[in-house]
Amino acid sequence: MEKPVVVYEPFRAGLPPMREYLRSLWSRRTFIAAFSRSELREQNFDSLFGQLWLVLNPLLLSGVYFLLIDVIGGKSDSSRFAHLTASLFLFYLIANSLTGGVKAITSGQRLILNTSFPRIMLPISAAIVALFRFLPTLVVYIVIHVLLGLPFSWQMLWALPIIVIAIVLSLGLAILISCINVYFRDISSMLPYLTRSLLYLSPILYEAAHMSHRIKKFEVANPIFYLLDSWSRVMVHGEAPTSKGLLTSSIWALGIFVVGTYFFLSRERDFAVRL
Amino acid sequence: MISLSDFNHDHSQHSVAVSVKNLGLTYTTSIDRKPTLKARLKTLGRGKKHTRIVRALVDINVDVHYGTVLGIIGSNGAGKSSLMRVISGIVPPTQGRVEVYGSVSTLLALGVGFNPSMTGRDNVYLGGLAAGMSREEIDKNFEAIAAFSELGDAIDTPMRTYSSGMFARLAFSVAAVVEPDILIIDEALSTGDAKFKEKSLNRIKELRTSDRALILVSHALATIEDICNEVIWLDHGKLMARGNPAEVIAAYREFVDARKSASSDEDV
Repeated sequence: MEKPVVVYEPFRAGLPPMREYLRSLWSRRTFIAAFSRSELREQNFDSLFGQLWLVLNPLLLSGVYFLLIDVIGGKSDSSRFAHLTASLFLFYLIANSLTGGVKAITSGQRLILNTSFPRIMLPISAAIVALFRFLPTLVVYIVIHVLLGLPFSWQMLWALPIIVIAIVLSLGLAILISCINVYFRDISSMLPYLTRSLLYLSPILYEAAHMSHRIKKFEVANPIFYLLDSWSRVMVHGEAPTSKGLLTSSIWALGIFVVGTYFFLSRERDFAVRL
Repeated sequence: MISLSDFNHDHSQHSVAVSVKNLGLTYTTSIDRKPTLKARLKTLGRGKKHTRIVRALVDINVDVHYGTVLGIIGSNGAGKSSLMRVISGIVPPTQGRVEVYGSVSTLLALGVGFNPSMTGRDNVYLGGLAAGMSREEIDKNFEAIAAFSELGDAIDTPMRTYSSGMFARLAFSVAAVVEPDILIIDEALSTGDAKFKEKSLNRIKELRTSDRALILVSHALATIEDICNEVIWLDHGKLMARGNPAEVIAAYREFVDARKSASSDEDV
């Protein structure tokens, strides 16, 4: 008798056979692309006004904060506005993968109940959508940078590894939160408060350099604090990031990615009956 | 999870396609309709149970051979869909073993992966990719899918403008071009108007070849008797009978009637 192509047996808690899992994830790459594209289409990414809104939304927000802090607050310098915008744009990458990821599994119910595929595909495509929404804002920031007459330097190339760290972090967050939401559905309604708190606790409305040391030492516990600090140093001031900043943000990103993925993969076979 | 084109080798008739051994499926599901952190915190330390255990399948043994069309019948909640989900790898078994010898395509629901804001054309690709086809395979079959669905120019309009019949037609058309070794169909025929129903039934009859195994779940007993050459009957997760369609269906009818008359004897 020929060898069985697939065998399904009871699973013990833990990871599925990784090589097979990754292979089947890879064989689904065109589906991931098509699925993400349809999500983007749903958010009107393909229309001019849809794209304009993506850029306008954080831009208006940074305008409001700029008015509040710098104009009404009474201290103004051009790099403050650049810092606000650059940080908000990167923050939105993280926040969008959280809001996209949280419902990735629960809204994919029909797909999960009726087809067999690596479930991790769904939060991954949520993170891809967030990334595609982030890229045009990067161009807008460069324009602002030029208009404000801020300097360019080779150190700005550090932006590339920082973006990579940010992508790993947003992937990890999307995967983790999509899985948590299967078990605790109210996470999705708590999420706006979570992202809002993250916004205020991170160096976006203020610069990390202006914080008192007493408070700053607690910020190691904030997963995106050092990421945003390094981003602002590199993009706004054209300086190299501190090694502590790079290291801390990488550890956070990798940590969340590894924990989230492990949690997800060991739970994923349970999703079909939990939905 | 495997691309359909990977395993299209020849299967001789009567070789095993799917082998189900001592299969048991027990799962924990949440009692609350939506499990929340709030509910969990409120009852912390009170020992309230949030999950219950459902025994969906008990000790099922079935072999499906190539060239067979296996019908599965049973009342609601008998475990028919659970069995299909285990065979297609959507839910892992809690006991026993399922071996699958060939590529499986599942048609458990129509229009899986479709996105209503996209056009019919885009959804053919989306649905086809979700079903495990490659982009090239869809390119090759696109004309056939469009023709089978009889949608005409409507294929380029967004799917949210479709009537439910048009939706079902396109969804079935995408599923019908897949030519897997093993095809699992769960109640997917009960959509569309009479004409399209007949058309999809004919398509399924076309798929009955000696090198393919079909598993069909349906409440339409006449259809089952017409198409299948073997039938199993499930009740409360247990295998009640297996064999010749006419006999098993007769036994099932008798069982259902007996229950019906028993309840109609009670005072109303």
